[in-house]
Amino acid sequence: MRFSFVFMVLGIVLSVGILSAGLNLFAGYERTLKAVLLDSFAHISISETDSYLSRHKADQLIPKLEAMPEVQSVSPTETFSAMVNKDGEVHGALIRGYDFKRPFPYRKYIRKGEPSLDSGSVYIGHYMASELGLEVGDSLKVVYPQLNRVSALGIFPGEYFFRVAGIYRSGYYEYDRSAVIMTLEDAINVIMVPGYISNIELKLKPESVGAAGKLAKELEATYPELVAQAWTQNNDSLFRLIAMEKWLIFIIFSFLVLIAGLNVVSAVVTIMYDKKNEIAVLKTLGAGLNSIRGLIFYRIALVGIAAIILGQIFGWILSLLIINQSWYSLKGDVYFIDQLTIYVSPFNQVAIFVVSACLILICVRLPLRRINRMEIIELIRNP
Amino acid sequence: MTILEARHLAKSYQDSDRRIEVLKDANLLVNKGDLICITGKSGCGKSTLLHMLGLLDNPDQGKVLIEGKEVSSSSKEAPQIRNRDLGFVFQFHYLVEDLTAVENVALPLLIAGHSKSTSLAKAAELLSGFGLEERLNHYSNQLSGGEQQRVSLARALINKPKVVLADEPTGNLDPEKSAEIWETILRLNRELEQAFVVITHDREQARLASITYELEHGVLSPVNP
Ligand SMILES: Nc1ncnc2c1ncn2[C@@H]1O[C@H](COP(=O)(O)OP(=O)(O)O)[C@@H](O)[C@H]1O
Ligand SMILES: [Mg+2]
Repeated sequence: MRFSFVFMVLGIVLSVGILSAGLNLFAGYERTLKAVLLDSFAHISISETDSYLSRHKADQLIPKLEAMPEVQSVSPTETFSAMVNKDGEVHGALIRGYDFKRPFPYRKYIRKGEPSLDSGSVYIGHYMASELGLEVGDSLKVVYPQLNRVSALGIFPGEYFFRVAGIYRSGYYEYDRSAVIMTLEDAINVIMVPGYISNIELKLKPESVGAAGKLAKELEATYPELVAQAWTQNNDSLFRLIAMEKWLIFIIFSFLVLIAGLNVVSAVVTIMYDKKNEIAVLKTLGAGLNSIRGLIFYRIALVGIAAIILGQIFGWILSLLIINQSWYSLKGDVYFIDQLTIYVSPFNQVAIFVVSACLILICVRLPLRRINRMEIIELIRNP
Repeated sequence: MTILEARHLAKSYQDSDRRIEVLKDANLLVNKGDLICITGKSGCGKSTLLHMLGLLDNPDQGKVLIEGKEVSSSSKEAPQIRNRDLGFVFQFHYLVEDLTAVENVALPLLIAGHSKSTSLAKAAELLSGFGLEERLNHYSNQLSGGEQQRVSLARALINKPKVVLADEPTGNLDPEKSAEIWETILRLNRELEQAFVVITHDREQARLASITYELEHGVLSPVNP
């Protein structure tokens, strides 16, 4: 009896632990990804329908945008793709020019170096820095092919040298690999479109972030010649996919708990046969079948519930171990972020508890129905 | 006043190719204050009869009446009748091993729905009356055979049943312990008019009963003292 009981408890603890660890990790991923995307993207990006935005127009627009109650900061930006080159090694780059006379919305991601940029200096992504072997203070060549400098020998790319003034690391893998952040004027210089910017980035106040989509629509209604894109527009399907995957994990790992339930069934059967004399005595003394079943059910169920809670604690420890190990990390180019984090969501924990408890209790209940088939006479005759 | 009555009980078992008729036409009347002994050869069907009287098994034919009312072991009220109106003592004491002596005795009260504290208090009182006040919190494997059987007897009596059914209660005890149990039964019968149906092999014991029956060929017949 002890033996099957130990396996029953072990099975529950392990299966609930794996279910719980899986969900902790997945919820952590979802939360971190959401936070990273929320922080590393403009909440609303405003641009001209199919051309650059004139600085004149932007200057008129910015004060109006800043006056909106939902808006936290407004940044005119110049964003384009280019290449960087260090000692012959070429690397794709996403150039992002910001006006450093205004508050820089991504300051918290500058992990090393100077707090602000001057003309001629750049922040570069953490992975770009490590791949190219760049440190703060090194110099970097930005290469941008310019169509207006076409000659008989081909396209002459414009080449510009910058000093690395800091390292950018947001957790969003794509940016950490390719971002080169410079002043707005430098960026305009590189692509040579003076008087124009590519877009205006809006950061919303935390309480208004959820309403980004609605706000973008309102902006488009007010300024029909502009395009306003909310961050949710790009990521909606991603989050829906993640939510669905979370449910799949939940359902698949719940089957583990069901398998642990089989152990419970066999433990209950063993206990019933172990205690058949006692059951016979109780029947003889007039105990109803339901009260005998209740007696056994209550004791095993209590152990089962305790094992579920233990499993949830084990799951938490397991997920802590997983995020603190060093031999596996997420592939940033597949999963957008490369850091494993956990989030012990109260909702998930309650769901795990309720689903596991239901499964386990059914598995305790099921074999107890056999008790009325265990004849008292047989038991009393054959002690 | 008739407490328990068996009318024309018949029971047979199919034993591989052969049918064994254990009981053919067993009749029995138990009145208040009776001490009835049933004797008979081993395997003649005494236990089978007792199980039917105790509503633990159904006869093939005939009926069992308690205070004039027919009841069957499979009926809804059978558990309640076993709990309130009948007491059981078996040859093997059948105490619940996980429970102490006092808890075992309290079981019928607990099953009847009394509170734990009153059940345990009553059980302790009764056990003390049986000279077991030192053994209340012992588990059954910490008790001697005689003590275990006295605990069983106390458990059979705790709900003040109309009749106690005992199947060779002294069959496993040495003569001294056996006499002790038997004296207790006689005393309860005399002082409280407690009715007993006792299956025994012991002729000496049977001689002290108010009525003795012998079970032979499936029929109960009175033995003249
Ligand atoms: N379930 C059963 N199946 C077949 N035979 C049985 C069964 N129960 C009892 N018997 C038989 O019935 C007879 C009477 O048994 P029992 O009442 O225990 O006798 P006693 O108690 O007088 O020694 C025995 O021969 C026994 O083998
Ligand atoms: Mg017998």
